[in-house]
Amino acid sequence: MIAVANHEIESRVDPDLADITRVLSGDVQAFEGIVRRWQGPLVNMAWRYCRDRSRAEELAQEAFLRAWRGLPQWRRESSFSTWLFALAANVFRTELKRFPDVDLPLDKAAEPYGPAAQFHALDESSRNEAVRRAVLALPHRYREPVILFYFHEMDLAAAARTMGLPEGTMKARLSRARVLLRSRFPHLETQHAEMEHAALEKGKEA
Amino acid sequence: MKQNRFDDNGNNSAELDRILASEQPLVPSSGFLASVMEKVGEEAAAPPPIPFPWKRIVPGVTLVVGIGCYGGVSLIRHGILGLGADTIQPPHIPAAAIHPVEQAGWVALALGISLLSWLLSRRLAGRSGLL
Repeated sequence: MIAVANHEIESRVDPDLADITRVLSGDVQAFEGIVRRWQGPLVNMAWRYCRDRSRAEELAQEAFLRAWRGLPQWRRESSFSTWLFALAANVFRTELKRFPDVDLPLDKAAEPYGPAAQFHALDESSRNEAVRRAVLALPHRYREPVILFYFHEMDLAAAARTMGLPEGTMKARLSRARVLLRSRFPHLETQHAEMEHAALEKGKEA
Repeated sequence: MKQNRFDDNGNNSAELDRILASEQPLVPSSGFLASVMEKVGEEAAAPPPIPFPWKRIVPGVTLVVGIGCYGGVSLIRHGILGLGADTIQPPHIPAAAIHPVEQAGWVALALGISLLSWLLSRRLAGRSGLL
């Protein structure tokens, strides 16, 4: 009796729980609320896995379908978002293994260097994109921790929960991934310092 | 955004963090929600999947396992007999006598399997409402 009352209170507070309760009682349209609230995060998460907009939407759609099918199995032991992100990560991982993009080895990832002052913004933007793309060239075991760590706004615990890994393992893989990325972009920090210095000098001149 | 506290090698990863954390958010296309709900609607309207008929399969599987076991045991027995052929001589039966019996055995086995498969198919069809 108390459990039922608690459940009703939770449903009133959490819109996801309210929608899930309705979905589980047979109201298909209630799932729309869940999709509306979580479409942004899931599409963005998928984008980080493949960096292809249409594929990201396909992957996110598949994740929502799996969530729809799996809702009766959600045991409410963790928050809905944790469950949904873990399920989505699993879907993205599996789907990208089934139909992989062309895997680019890390040493083939472009490393734009040599900032031209007049193309400062363009150069920085293309360099940033090259770094982001290089994440997809990391070996599988290091790629996903990086994707999820930055997707979760550098929250290690959240990323570890999504991957279903202990925080220590996640931390070790992330550390190794950083080493690999830095070895690919050795001028990243110095280039940034140069750019900041140039901007500072320009400001002084002005 | 949380601070990076675990760069074990003492290297400055601030720029790497800045680049990877500053991703422009992607807005889902306008038809995305409708597309997902259409798929969900299709799934909801579809009849539930037919469960695999394990109970119906059991007699067939038992039969196959039984035949396999019998074959295995026979092979082992013949092998043992073959090994001990120097000491134990099986009784000599003329080939003319063995041949018709062997053929009749095969015919009986084929008929038995046909009968079993016919009975099984009738039973399955009957349960599915086809008969």
